[in-house]
Amino acid sequence: MAPLTIQQATKSFGGVQVLHGVTIDIDDGEFVVLVGPSGCGKSTLLRLIAGLEDITSGGILIDGKDVSRLHPKDRDIAMVFQSYALYPHMTVAENMGFSLRMRGAKSDEQRRKVGQAAGILDLDALLDRYPRQLSGGQRQRVAMGRAIVRDPKVFLFDEPLSNLDAKLRVQMRSEIRTLHKKLKTTIVYVTHDQIEAMTMADKIVVMRGGHVEQIGSPMTLYDAPANVFVAGFIGSPAMNLLKGRIGADAQSFDLDAGGALQFTSALDARPGQSVILGIRPEDVTLSDNGSPATVKLIEPTGADLHVNLDVAGSDITAVFHERLSLKEGQDVSLELPADCVHLFDAETETRLSA
Amino acid sequence: MSAQSYPGRRRTTWVIFIALCVFTFINLTPLIWAVLTSLKDPRDAFTIPPTIIFEPTLKYHIEVWTENDFVFYLMNSLIISAGTVFISVPAGSLAAYALSRIPRRSAGPILSALFTIRMFPHMLLAIPFFVMGTFLNMIDTYPLLILALVAINQPFTIWLMHCFFLEIPRDLDEAAAIDGCSNWQAFRIVILPLARPGMTVAALFSLLLSYNEFLFALILTGTDTKTLPVAIASFGGEDISSWSLSAAGAIGIMLPIVLVMLLLQRHLVRGLTAGAVKG
Repeated sequence: MAPLTIQQATKSFGGVQVLHGVTIDIDDGEFVVLVGPSGCGKSTLLRLIAGLEDITSGGILIDGKDVSRLHPKDRDIAMVFQSYALYPHMTVAENMGFSLRMRGAKSDEQRRKVGQAAGILDLDALLDRYPRQLSGGQRQRVAMGRAIVRDPKVFLFDEPLSNLDAKLRVQMRSEIRTLHKKLKTTIVYVTHDQIEAMTMADKIVVMRGGHVEQIGSPMTLYDAPANVFVAGFIGSPAMNLLKGRIGADAQSFDLDAGGALQFTSALDARPGQSVILGIRPEDVTLSDNGSPATVKLIEPTGADLHVNLDVAGSDITAVFHERLSLKEGQDVSLELPADCVHLFDAETETRLSA
Repeated sequence: MSAQSYPGRRRTTWVIFIALCVFTFINLTPLIWAVLTSLKDPRDAFTIPPTIIFEPTLKYHIEVWTENDFVFYLMNSLIISAGTVFISVPAGSLAAYALSRIPRRSAGPILSALFTIRMFPHMLLAIPFFVMGTFLNMIDTYPLLILALVAINQPFTIWLMHCFFLEIPRDLDEAAAIDGCSNWQAFRIVILPLARPGMTVAALFSLLLSYNEFLFALILTGTDTKTLPVAIASFGGEDISSWSLSAAGAIGIMLPIVLVMLLLQRHLVRGLTAGAVKG
């Protein structure tokens, strides 16, 4: 267990800069998820922490010690790879004990620690098997076992669940979370799946184009996204984002695409101001006298009803938890609560409302 | 495209089988001829039409193995072949591993240069090797021929091993580094065991090349290090009466290689097909 600090980290590949002065403070025992679209630099940042890529400038401190120029083996970290990277010619026990063997641990100690880790991960019956004889989920657990057996200061996970099917992914998600609660080791976890980020993290770092867009707890990011990118990235289905101007009474919103939306109370912005208005699908409700809309598409997920609506030429997605009997092409009226609205500056795309 | 019917498929299989039998027979004819010639008396060996029924004799095989210094030349061949394999495969593997792990834009020109060396006529390389050997006073020594054979063999070994190392995910090197391996340990403990089928193939090709090589062996060796292919060539000459002896020598020279091939057949097939199917 150790705190991890990334100070103004930059990384360039030739003339292409992929990380632009990233600074993140991670507390001892914290579970931090780096999330962002492909090419945002999250995996590169993880590889910098691991020492698999050389940092161009800036620093990486583990437990207060600058490790940015150290070989991976000297950083006291363990990593779970997307491909698991299990050694095909070694058994599960040999894979798990390999790091201990390389550090000169006695065979008794190796056996004891591998046994402990196997017990935690329910791998006892598989210790003599080879990776090719294991299922995807079992390989995933072996990869984690290899990481925990050495009791490192920091765990690094590079999209470890992306090769698993949906059901197993949900199961492994909770297993990793449970493991973290048990071990209390600092974890940096990379994913492009915002559901994974929301469900697992103590703290989420949203990245885009080599920059950190926002750092905060999952609910902070959900309730108060710092900008349009975070607002659109966190949450599923994504937040509805509409360009327009605040109406003269501050209770309506004139869409750039034409038409207007009516809100239940005044919006927190001055009339006439150009903004991007965001409203989460689950905050949209049906009413008798709100903004008129037409049902375009209905997607029942079982638990919820996702409805795509046309509001004066703009698309709005709504999520209803009730089983409504809506039909495609039906005219409805939407209630848009003003206190659930997120407002962003039209120019800078940064958050306006508190 | 419709699937072929079962009788149609069976007919195709038979046609392919017969074609392969004919092809195999054509390929084996010189070998069969050599075996028969080595068992015949020279008088029977060159009759037209060829004699089918004759009294077989092992006289020439015994003569090859007991006289004419055949065993001495065989030992020379084995020393030179082993030396070539033991230098060529490790050196080529190390180079190939490095080339597989550096950026493609850096590895590309080196691999292209190696390919060019491979295409270079060996005859033209033999002359500089002879001049260098003379200058260093190394003509008719094992190291000279071994180094020359290593040099002409390296491009192929590096290309072959490079393909094998590319198949091994880089994640394994990185996992090994995080687990506490230095670069050398990662190569030796993690990567090398996975490249074993490739190394077996590289070793066999290297062995075949050096064992059968004639041109360099003829130019760079003398009485002390003459190899079997050079020696066998001098067994027969123009004298028809010695051709049975030459044939017996040809069979003798083949035996060690056939033995090695039979022993390593399993590895050879695995190595040649590695990476063909995603597993």
